[in-house]
Amino acid sequence: MTRVWRLLLGLLRELADENAYRRHLAWHGRTHSREEWRRFSDERLRAKYAQGKCC
Amino acid sequence: MKLLRVLLWTAVAAAAAVGLGGIALYRGEHINSMWLVVAAAASYTVGYRFYAKFIAARVMTLNDLRATPAERLRNGHDFEPTNKWIVFGHHFAAIAGPGPLVGPVLAAQFGYLPGTLWIVIGAVFGGAVQDFVILFASMRRDGKSLGRMARDEIGKVGGFIALITVLLIMTILLAVVGLVVVNALKGSPWGTFTIAATMPVALLMGLYLRYWRPGKVLEISAIGFVLVMASIFFGQRVAESSMAPWFTLAPMALAVAIILYGLLASALPVWMLLAPRDYLSTFVKLGVVLMLGVGILFVRPELQLPAFTRFVDGSGPIFAGKIFPFCFITIACGAVSGFHSLISSGTTPKMISRESHARPVGYGSMLLESFVAIMAMIAACVLQPGVYFAVNSPAGIVGATPTAAVATISNWGFPVSAADMASLAREVGETTLFSRTGGAPSLALGMAHIFASSGGGRALIGFWYHFAIMFEALFILTIIDAGTRVGRFMLQDLLGHAWEPLGRTSWMPGVWATSAMIVGAWGYFLIQGVRDPLGGINSLWPLFGISNQLLAAVALCVATTILLKMHGLKFVWIACVPLVWLVTVTFSAGWQKIFSPVPAIGFLAQADRLAAGAQTAATATLIFNARLDAAVCAVLMALVAIVLVDSLRIWVGILSGASEAPVREAPFVPSRLQVEEL
Repeated sequence: MTRVWRLLLGLLRELADENAYRRHLAWHGRTHSREEWRRFSDERLRAKYAQGKCC
Repeated sequence: MKLLRVLLWTAVAAAAAVGLGGIALYRGEHINSMWLVVAAAASYTVGYRFYAKFIAARVMTLNDLRATPAERLRNGHDFEPTNKWIVFGHHFAAIAGPGPLVGPVLAAQFGYLPGTLWIVIGAVFGGAVQDFVILFASMRRDGKSLGRMARDEIGKVGGFIALITVLLIMTILLAVVGLVVVNALKGSPWGTFTIAATMPVALLMGLYLRYWRPGKVLEISAIGFVLVMASIFFGQRVAESSMAPWFTLAPMALAVAIILYGLLASALPVWMLLAPRDYLSTFVKLGVVLMLGVGILFVRPELQLPAFTRFVDGSGPIFAGKIFPFCFITIACGAVSGFHSLISSGTTPKMISRESHARPVGYGSMLLESFVAIMAMIAACVLQPGVYFAVNSPAGIVGATPTAAVATISNWGFPVSAADMASLAREVGETTLFSRTGGAPSLALGMAHIFASSGGGRALIGFWYHFAIMFEALFILTIIDAGTRVGRFMLQDLLGHAWEPLGRTSWMPGVWATSAMIVGAWGYFLIQGVRDPLGGINSLWPLFGISNQLLAAVALCVATTILLKMHGLKFVWIACVPLVWLVTVTFSAGWQKIFSPVPAIGFLAQADRLAAGAQTAATATLIFNARLDAAVCAVLMALVAIVLVDSLRIWVGILSGASEAPVREAPFVPSRLQVEEL
């Protein structure tokens, strides 16, 4: 049950880009801040919406 | 143990055979929806266990010792090894749109059987194979896109045509989904208020993430969900108050509002409106799909529509044309969808940590999407046939008044009364449910029926109806603003070659000008659909289906070429058989849509009939539109014919030994991923 919950939470965090943000912080060795989130978010969303949503 | 396994799989295969046989042969009064659920689930299980495993082991030779692009090119952004089930959910959320919901509802005009069989068989042997092979090919090629693979494997022409086809599909797609929203919200203050309220909610979410609690996406999505639910609740109060006229809009006013919204959303910063609503719509979408699945299992409703209706002869009121080829283009996303190949060669291949995960992600996600289509078919078929046709048939066919509409529909053999329709409309908080074409309202009625039967009873049916409308409109609007933005990028990229400033995404006049061009293109088709006396769906949905399936043909050409290079003729049938089927279906449908002498089917015949009647400015526009639709259809067919000829040239060259056939995979690098990283 714990495993299912962790997987579900993991999926929600992936869909919410929260996991990607954590990876971004870890990869660049930075800490969370408003500016860092904006930098990440702008880059992430630019790439994400360069592709159409599926029908 | 082996004997037990054999017995188990024999039982599953028998369940699939009995289920499919049962729904195909049963001709009694009503059939329970569980027959469809069992037939589909057992067929998917057998397809996944045997066919997908065969493709994975013998054709692709997936190798977990080989490092995937997610590992080799890991960059902390898009290339990242990710848990198998998370990638599965991510991929499913990306491929699931309104297509598998709306298509089956429209195709139910033939009865439940043709659409159901196509959804199950098409997905197992076509759609899931396409998604799986393209995902595999992209994974072995550093996550390359379909267009890039088409250019590398077939040639420059293939790559360019894939790009143009995508642009055309998006234009038609955005128009047709816009029309679905217009028809769902026309004259509905409750629905319009709810959808209008999602805009400030999305803006609030955007500001919250940007300024107040950066990074807390799940937190604000939960708040956004509560606010949207509250807007459904208050929508009923608004519809019953003196504010109702503000939110009671005619189709044309709604179309203009959607066009202006698309223009605004495409040019606004993405964090402000598009991204927050996309987060919300993704969570709502997954939640509703789960709820619908549980609801169907709990209620186990009986299907009221017959296996076949009289409209198999091609005289259908929702869209004209016979089962072959029109059923197979009406249901695209639930069976085979070319658009999926863009997702399978987009983000997903960059997240897969082990090659063997491509099977559950590529093949398995498509089976789940197909199951969503089965659920939509069930939701449509639980309605009384008379109600189903009264909601989905345009006024131009059944008549503009309730009396005329019920008389026409009852004469078809599907009894319905004006009093029944009025009572149902009252129950769901609408003034009328007649001629709400597009599939969304009838799907919402079916879903509301299932949800209300699961708990809450008829008292909550109005809430559930508007909840379903909100759910459909929410992600359709996300498709509209994301699609317009992508179209704008593509156009800026193209026009930037002619005049450099137009290519700059930071130059606002260029951004607004290109956004206006894209919005103008799909907006034109949307207005055309609103003005169409036959409801618009009759001409636009087939165009969308044809274009989507033609993109699938391009993807399967790439897949066939890759399989031919890998194994010669040995396994080429895996992609080639669905390719031949799709080419036959789409070219037949395209030909009929252009040249059929029946005006309800053929665009040119429709234009000729209009030309023969009294001439007004409105008639001239309708004639022009019919000819334009014929031209778009012809262009799409010509583009794909070029890819096919180009592919054939390559295949003949490979088989005769005249051309080199290099397999352009990235070189083998052993994986060093640890178990805990998977």
